[in-house]
Amino acid sequence: MLEVRNFSVSYGAAPAISGVNLAVAAGMLAVVVGPNGAGKSTLINAIGGLHRPDGGALSIYGKSLMGTPAHRYCDYGIALVPEGRRLFTGLTVLENLELGSYRRDARGKRAETLDQVCSLFPVLKERLAAVAGTLSGGQQQMVAIGRALMARPKLLLLDEPSLGLAPVIVVELFRAIRRINAAGVAVLLVEQNVAAALELAHRAYVLEEGRIVAQGRPATLLSQPHIRKAYLGH
Amino acid sequence: MKVALGILAAALIALPYVGLPAFYESFSYLLLSAIVLATSWNILSGYSGYFSFGHGAFFGVGVYTTAGLAGKLDWPFLWTLPLAALNAAVLGVALGAVVFRVRALRGELFALLTLAITFVLATIALNTVDGGPGIQFMVDTPKLTPTASGFLYLLMLATAALTLWTAYAMYHSRFGTGLLAIHDDEDVAEVMGVPTYRFKLAAFAVSCALAGLAGGIHAVFVSYVTVAETFSIALAVNVVLMAALGGTRHWLGPAVGAVAITVLLYAFTSGQAAVLGRAMTGLILIIVIVAMPEGILGQILKRFRKNEVVRKPPVESARPAMKAKSGTILEVRGASKAFKGVQALAGVDLEVRGGEILGLVGPNGSGKSTLINVVSGHYAADGGSIRFEGVELTGMPAHRIARAGIARTYQIPRPFPQLTVLQNIALPPMFGQVVMDRAAAEREAWRWLEFTGLEAKAHRLPADLNLHERKFLELARALASRPKLIFLDEVLSGLTPTEMDGALRLIRQIREQGATIVFVEHVMRAVMELTDRVVVLTYGKAIAAGLPRDVMRNPQVVDAYLGTAHA
Amino acid sequence: MGGPGSEDRLTVPSATLLGQSVLSGVFIGALYGLLGLGLSLSWGMLRQVNLTHFALAFLGGYLTFQLAAVAKVDPFVSLAITVPAFFALGMALHWFFMRFKVTLLNTLLVTFGLTSIIEAGIQWYWTADFQRMETSYAHVRWKVGPLYLSLPDVITLGLSVSLCVGMWAVLRYTDLGKAIRATTEDAPVAAAFGVNEKMLGYLVSGLAGAFAAVAGVCLALDHTLAPVQIYAWMGVVFAAVMMGGLGRPLGPLLAGIVIGVSEALTMAVTAPTWAPLVSFSLLIAIILFRPSRF
Repeated sequence: MLEVRNFSVSYGAAPAISGVNLAVAAGMLAVVVGPNGAGKSTLINAIGGLHRPDGGALSIYGKSLMGTPAHRYCDYGIALVPEGRRLFTGLTVLENLELGSYRRDARGKRAETLDQVCSLFPVLKERLAAVAGTLSGGQQQMVAIGRALMARPKLLLLDEPSLGLAPVIVVELFRAIRRINAAGVAVLLVEQNVAAALELAHRAYVLEEGRIVAQGRPATLLSQPHIRKAYLGH
Repeated sequence: MKVALGILAAALIALPYVGLPAFYESFSYLLLSAIVLATSWNILSGYSGYFSFGHGAFFGVGVYTTAGLAGKLDWPFLWTLPLAALNAAVLGVALGAVVFRVRALRGELFALLTLAITFVLATIALNTVDGGPGIQFMVDTPKLTPTASGFLYLLMLATAALTLWTAYAMYHSRFGTGLLAIHDDEDVAEVMGVPTYRFKLAAFAVSCALAGLAGGIHAVFVSYVTVAETFSIALAVNVVLMAALGGTRHWLGPAVGAVAITVLLYAFTSGQAAVLGRAMTGLILIIVIVAMPEGILGQILKRFRKNEVVRKPPVESARPAMKAKSGTILEVRGASKAFKGVQALAGVDLEVRGGEILGLVGPNGSGKSTLINVVSGHYAADGGSIRFEGVELTGMPAHRIARAGIARTYQIPRPFPQLTVLQNIALPPMFGQVVMDRAAAEREAWRWLEFTGLEAKAHRLPADLNLHERKFLELARALASRPKLIFLDEVLSGLTPTEMDGALRLIRQIREQGATIVFVEHVMRAVMELTDRVVVLTYGKAIAAGLPRDVMRNPQVVDAYLGTAHA
Repeated sequence: MGGPGSEDRLTVPSATLLGQSVLSGVFIGALYGLLGLGLSLSWGMLRQVNLTHFALAFLGGYLTFQLAAVAKVDPFVSLAITVPAFFALGMALHWFFMRFKVTLLNTLLVTFGLTSIIEAGIQWYWTADFQRMETSYAHVRWKVGPLYLSLPDVITLGLSVSLCVGMWAVLRYTDLGKAIRATTEDAPVAAAFGVNEKMLGYLVSGLAGAFAAVAGVCLALDHTLAPVQIYAWMGVVFAAVMMGGLGRPLGPLLAGIVIGVSEALTMAVTAPTWAPLVSFSLLIAIILFRPSRF
């Protein structure tokens, strides 16, 4: 469904990722792991429309996204949960969620989708009128994921959702992500928390210094020394 | 060059005696006045970037000081001039003392604040000194020149010379470099040792004093002073326009702009043409801002800079190496820092020993950069203690921490964009532990240029460098003040393996020179190869410290990085 | 006007005078708010400090005056011409800023240049003399208790309140308004959810131009027009916008009324020439003690 070929993106003057090949099938949960500075955020931001790619091919359901203006990416069925949440902090939780369904196709089904999001994250139901900036980190992450779900995406992109959150909340979040995937939404997840990520995934990619150095099923990868070396140096 | 200046000076001084028609005498006076106002404005606003729209206010203070003292109290007017300058300066300092303390006050806010001050002062002047109808007075000028306006012309000539000389001297001093650094990136300037508050205040005081002086002279020139004419917005904006047109980054730029604008405005003197003149001025302003953001002089100088040959100053004899004390030099106890609900540092305990390379590692978001920011004074810690060589650092302004001998690089390089590579590196030595003057600092900077291999790019701007070179610029800049303790924040990220090897070699050389290094990095092989000890941070706390091999096998650390599996 | 003199006479005015002062303060404050509406939107949302707003308002006033004097067009009918024209002008200005990547501080300088040009144009066509539009509206007055209300004042208040409240409602309750607010906060992320920043920018700048046209009619109805007056309003409207909050439609209206009333009361109690001190001191205080508002 999502096809990334020979993808390269630069950050400022320097190339951040190059020659990346990646594929996410419909309904699949794929994970990109790798140490910091590897380029994971740059990769997912470029797929999500937050960052302009330099070259290569990016297509979803066969339709190419290269050269599409940023505000049209969501029309292709992609929704992004950016690193650090990046909620509209001055707006209420409800307004953030409503903005998620700004695109025309999602707008019509807004009430229904809102219900689904609230049943996934019940704590949000009570805090709909709260200003987004006043929520705790974990709750903000839920709003960010909810906002993306409101766009009724076929592919959900998540950039380090566990960042800065207590382990117990991370467990809850990943449980929710699993449920989202089980409902039929394909997921591409970028994570530093390797173990939790590999638990969830059908397929994993290891990104190091801008290139994919390993890929495959999580069980296979864990048995290889790549990941330990990349993170721990031995 | 000196001969040409001498002839020019003689010609200018001789002007009142030549017997010019009154119009030209007035015009020359006004030209000089414009030069004084534009150049004095530039001293604060052009150099430091704090655009003031209140220059008219300080000019007005000068006008009314003289008008009040000479006009209403019959003081001899020459005695009122120093007071005019002093009043304006005092007002500027009083305003600056409050305003410059407010950290969030930048750019357009300062502009509007100074504009508001103009209105306030105008109202006060109108209701107190002036009383409404303005002040009319006649003064006797010394009989040195055929006409009274000739004498005032000479006074203004002297003031212009003083102003230009002040701007020139500042531009070439470390004071000027500090102001230019503040313009480019005030926070980094402060961390590199520039006492930003004091410098801004001093520049403001000088700027206001000169405007006040010009005002005092002007009061006598017009001899009928009204609030509406004195405190007009037109003056405030014209001054900005003149400096912008000529080029705000150079000491002579505003004078160039002043001449251009004054000539233009007075080329249209009759009724209808005056209207056209104002429209032309507006059009020119727009064109300059859009097409020549650096001003006329700036644009010309830019062309010359491209052809500038790299000149190497004579090499000094080797200075003593940075000495590292043995034992603990930095002690952090319970450091904490929160941002809007996120606890970035939750009570960090660590120590750094003299002469070692300490690796600081941890997952993303664990607080490494925040710790550096807090130690170097970029942020203030919420709690805990940080002692460097026995001195408590918490609560100290960042520029004093730099003076104490601590330096840092930024993860994403933050060079001063409008200073050349050489000037960037020469800044910390001017404001570091040993305060050097500009010439000595540039010689010192050359040493570090050579150390990092950047000599060929000495006179280029940072924008012309690639990422690798910019990281080395960061490094050279941090080293140039010969710090006792240096924090390297992800110096290696984004480098190719070859570039990385080069960087590692450099870092080892730095340690050989005696510095103590704290090395924040994610590239594990570098950490393993380079560091003597490693400290691991997670969730804002230090969870392990010790030899690299041992620490990275510690089960808690493995857990922090790879995470334990959850159901 | 009582002669200022160098001594301030603090008089205790009668209740009627106080009431009339408050009322006139409210009306002038409404006009400050209306002028501030466009300025606030472009400053808060587009990050442009748009001084031409004042020049455009006056241009609108002069055009209204011209149409009324020459073609006997009712001032409100002339809105049908000025509003679309100024909407287009607002968009054109936005295009210019985008095309030349003008920074925030430079928009201040560029728009000052434009103001000079427009002002010169006005003076060239209509001369520097004071002009006053004569309409039947000006003669309509009502008496409410001991206080007088004039129709132009009431119209200005009505227009100002309805436009400010209307804009507030749009921003608060409509999808478009929420999109505008989201883009102001974080344009790239808003784009990721389908919000077209460029188009919204043109919309907001066009609206600001349209608001200037409306303000122009109000100016023409009740005030004398002179090119030099353009600058007289700048200071106090800036104060209202900064006090009321950048990007907010209602704040500047309320702040404008506060300023207007305090000015009027100052004038009633002391000499009129002290009035500017009030608004600007308030402004200075806010900048110094609450800079994070901006």
